[in-house]
Amino acid sequence: MVTRTYRSLQMHRIPYTDLTEAQVTQALRPAASGPSSKSAFSDVFAGKHLKIVTTDGPRLDYNFRNSHELELSENGGKALKAGYGALDSRGLILLSHMIPGSQRGYEVVIDPRTRLVTVFEVSFSGYAAAETAAAVEAKRAPQFKNGHRNREAQRKIWFGYVDDGSAAPAARHTYTNRLEGKGMHWRQDNDIELLEFYVSILYSNFIELTRFGGEMTICAPTDYIMVNDHQFIYSRIEAEFSGTLTVQIIDLFEMSQKGVRLGLNEKDELEYYMYSGNGETTGQIATFEVFGNNAETRGPRRLYRPLETFEVMTDDEVKDQVLNHAHAFGDGHGSGAAGMGGYKGELITKFAGKSLTARMDNGGPVIQYEFTDAKQLKWRYEGNSNWRDAWYEMYEPDEDLYFFAHLLDAEFPRSCAMVALDMKNGLSTIVKGTTGTSFRNNETHPTYYFGVFQMEGAPTPPQYLRHGMTDEMVGEAYTWNYSPGNPGLTSMHLYATPSTYSWIIFQPDGSGGLQWSSPGWYSKLRDGVYIMAWVEEACNGTLGVILFNRKIMHDAGFGYHVGRQGGLSLSVIGARARHAGRFEVKKHLGLI
Amino acid sequence: MTENKMNGTRRAFFVRGGAVLGAGVATAAAAGVLLPDAAPAVPDRLPQLQRELTSHQDRESIRQLHRAFTAAIENQTYEAAVELFEPHADLNLSGLSVQGQPAIRRLLITQYRQQQARVLHSAYRQGPLQQPDLIAIAADGAHATATFHCDVELSTPLPADSTLAQMARLQGQVAERHWEAGRFEARYVKTDGQWKMTALRFTSSPPSRPQLLP
Repeated sequence: MVTRTYRSLQMHRIPYTDLTEAQVTQALRPAASGPSSKSAFSDVFAGKHLKIVTTDGPRLDYNFRNSHELELSENGGKALKAGYGALDSRGLILLSHMIPGSQRGYEVVIDPRTRLVTVFEVSFSGYAAAETAAAVEAKRAPQFKNGHRNREAQRKIWFGYVDDGSAAPAARHTYTNRLEGKGMHWRQDNDIELLEFYVSILYSNFIELTRFGGEMTICAPTDYIMVNDHQFIYSRIEAEFSGTLTVQIIDLFEMSQKGVRLGLNEKDELEYYMYSGNGETTGQIATFEVFGNNAETRGPRRLYRPLETFEVMTDDEVKDQVLNHAHAFGDGHGSGAAGMGGYKGELITKFAGKSLTARMDNGGPVIQYEFTDAKQLKWRYEGNSNWRDAWYEMYEPDEDLYFFAHLLDAEFPRSCAMVALDMKNGLSTIVKGTTGTSFRNNETHPTYYFGVFQMEGAPTPPQYLRHGMTDEMVGEAYTWNYSPGNPGLTSMHLYATPSTYSWIIFQPDGSGGLQWSSPGWYSKLRDGVYIMAWVEEACNGTLGVILFNRKIMHDAGFGYHVGRQGGLSLSVIGARARHAGRFEVKKHLGLI
Repeated sequence: MTENKMNGTRRAFFVRGGAVLGAGVATAAAAGVLLPDAAPAVPDRLPQLQRELTSHQDRESIRQLHRAFTAAIENQTYEAAVELFEPHADLNLSGLSVQGQPAIRRLLITQYRQQQARVLHSAYRQGPLQQPDLIAIAADGAHATATFHCDVELSTPLPADSTLAQMARLQGQVAERHWEAGRFEARYVKTDGQWKMTALRFTSSPPSRPQLLP
């Protein structure tokens, strides 16, 4: 377990500066002399000449004067001098350098045994051009809501070979899905410790335990390239955050890494270093492509930019929506069937005509209910004479375990109650969802309350026993199919820490695609039965709360969202699950 | 649409149509050579040959117009598709019916591009047992009708506006795709020497029933 020395602000809340091109140039200036490294650089290239030819990409002619200075001619052009660093991963060499006076550089992986090469041509201040071109192609307006992102590294990947005068090799390095499903724990020579989860072929999920917290995982667009059956190239760009590039060689025989990080940190300072690390596999979960699909070719790079697309609303806008445009379960007409409730369970109606009191501990809410019929109830806080009417829906995700939800008072911010009633022991849990966070009005946040309920015919509640928070789900991955069809509306959840989860959207061929993460919370009601909540922070602000029964691999839950379209909504979630596997990460998170 | 798909589906479809037409023209020409004495003198045949040539050119123009429409739908260049219609044209794609170019524009550029329509045409292909196409040019040479048989790939957009659905759409995903056989029925008008559609309707064929044993 690492000592917590990192800042409390999670990466998605850091207001990274929208630097000008001139500022980026200035910040990158020290990179001309090459990266630093705690471990010794390799001198394998010192005094040598290397000519690299790439398919459709640059031709690079290197003269290495020694172990830290090189001369490079690009495409036969004038030779220029630069500082560089190289690390040797059991014969596979990672070379890194920038081009002085520019915002460009190269990260090159060279396999002298096969002469095959992968070249990452890296640049900065390229987001605007790339985004404009993408927008033209997609016939949409370019997204510059959060600035021009000059700080975000851009990369082009070229596959090629070392030209030694003999015939060119026929093979090339290729993209791959051979790392998909794998989790790694890394400890680097610079004392940085992190968990990485490769659960998509387009994205990866990671936690820098020593710097940015062991609480919430972060997702980044990622490239996976196969060198051979045990050596791979992994690269990611922290696109919605600092924009930093990571390129590393992973050796699964030795369980080692050799890598480079290049970018500007949250203080806009250059971070350019190479590192060596040792790791261990935390797990290998299932993948869902058909056999024979090795993802050697892949479509265009895809980026999910939730910070760009999040619709930030003003106080007044949110207030208007939550007071004047609030709808629970389609005001009694039902909800969710066309969205995340395609597999919702049977509506429970047998509480109609009954009364109960849900009594939460430690000053939590005490709510009295009278269930008018199958869809409407009356509620009031204990001690308050004023009954309020509300739409509700109730489900039974485990035997004699009921879960229902309704809106609370029409006030700003506005809340809803999601109530679990355990008819086997009289325990109750309420997740109160409320609009607004300290960052955005139209995000939501949950508050968990544990307690009991009292109802005629229900068991006498226990004095001490309660539902409670749990880490049992940490490391688990489940697919969730929300609607019929293939792939239909289907994702995979990865519950990587006790306070986060991420979701992966499957591509049509079954491979993992876009991925994002959010804070998450997990409570246990029974063996194999959990209430899990997440908030899509800086994404669309939705609170999702599901009561998950692992015995039947099904859930019942509710979504709580406020936006310009649809106002404030409380709707049903119902999906079918498959177990994808488990990562053994608890010891790295200090949980065991 | 990939090049392979183009070769295997729409391109092959229209190449086949062109080949049939070419064979007919060649047969007529050959018959003329074999019956020199019975045939009218060349000057007398010029108007007829001119009409045949114009008719051939019109058919080919209409075929190209239809090919431009299907290509625009497959490539999602909806703005180009809109320009193939007359201002007051009718369009009905598998039950989604609109009248007039502004409404066609809304259907394609808004409902299709943003996946708001309940069902989308996403690709076309020629089936192995497809009936031949029919193109009829009116006597005035300015109006025409046509029937093009083909299979359509119908895509049902992902419902909901959840983050999940948004991300899936970014990957080009839909809730469901399937192929149906059917036909385009179209009407055309020639204005200033250019053919445009005044009506286009795609209707799926009823599913064929298995033959019963006697």
